[in-house]
Amino acid sequence: MMPGLVQILLFQGLGELITHFFLPLIPGPVVGLILLLGFLALRKGVNASLDEVATVFSQHFGLLFVPAAVGVVMFWPHLKAHAVAIGAALLVSVVLTIAVTALVLKGLSRGSGK
Amino acid sequence: MNAQTPAFPNIHEIWVYLSGSPLLALVLTLGAYQLGVIVYERANRHPLANPVLIAIVLVAATITLIDMPYSKYFEGAQFVHFLLGTATVSLAVPIYKGLGAMRGRILPLLAALLAGGLTSIVSAVGLARLLGADSAIVGGFIAKSVTAPIAMGIAERIGVSPTLTAVFAVSTGILGAVLARYVLDLVRSREWWQRGFAIGVAAHGLGTSRAFSVNPEAGAYSSLAMGLHGVLGAVLIPLGARVFGF
Repeated sequence: MMPGLVQILLFQGLGELITHFFLPLIPGPVVGLILLLGFLALRKGVNASLDEVATVFSQHFGLLFVPAAVGVVMFWPHLKAHAVAIGAALLVSVVLTIAVTALVLKGLSRGSGK
Repeated sequence: MNAQTPAFPNIHEIWVYLSGSPLLALVLTLGAYQLGVIVYERANRHPLANPVLIAIVLVAATITLIDMPYSKYFEGAQFVHFLLGTATVSLAVPIYKGLGAMRGRILPLLAALLAGGLTSIVSAVGLARLLGADSAIVGGFIAKSVTAPIAMGIAERIGVSPTLTAVFAVSTGILGAVLARYVLDLVRSREWWQRGFAIGVAAHGLGTSRAFSVNPEAGAYSSLAMGLHGVLGAVLIPLGARVFGF
């Protein structure tokens, strides 16, 4: 598990460096993800240790959102005056976005015979 | 005996120590999440019993109850928050594993991403305007389907509030994670890769965590959608903002 974790942290650090110096708009972890993806494509494989770490992270990805999301919930009362407009916009928009994305995928992949 | 005092140390002193260290926030965060997972498993992974949502509500209620300011809580919880970046990097692994199957699907995926991304912006901004929200709030909706850290960067770039954008992004993620199954069933989306991609486009990280808990293929496609939406959004949304002037 440790070699995989170190590998991921290295790519995260590399991503942060690139973000800091060249790409201020894309966060470091996203740059790190792209670099790691490129590295895996070059190496043509995932080693067991890296796979193990990635599995743990993907299974508990949600936990890592809790600290930030608690701040969001604490912020909601500030939006009370606009609650209806905001709630409706968020709700309708997320439903439509999921539906449209799924329908386009279904329509286009049926056409290509898959 | 007069050993009473050392045997019973003042509880309030311990309490002060605990709340002054990261331990309380960490135990609270992990404990609430663990409870959420137990409930989620008991409920057969029902989308309404979302473990993250349960954890968020428990933590928010607890720190309100014990009068702990959010900034104090976050001082401790930042260790968990930091790992969000590390976990994001590690999403390269499930994406890489799904790459072979994705190759033949890249055009439908990109078309769906563009359609979904546009729908997200137009529907939220349009409806909020229609319902009379002021322009500061409307601006916060523009980047809300992009994963929060990228969304905040986009918000700064197009001159709208990063805080509102982050609040709307995280709220969207929660709503999407809870509602996706119903919407996807309604439009009769059956393939895991399509369902996963749709949830990732609409509800980024929180949607992805739900997708992984349901099916690994859905999780991989959801991470891919989140990553692509983030990168394309960071380029196209500021460009669109300049052209259309919203």
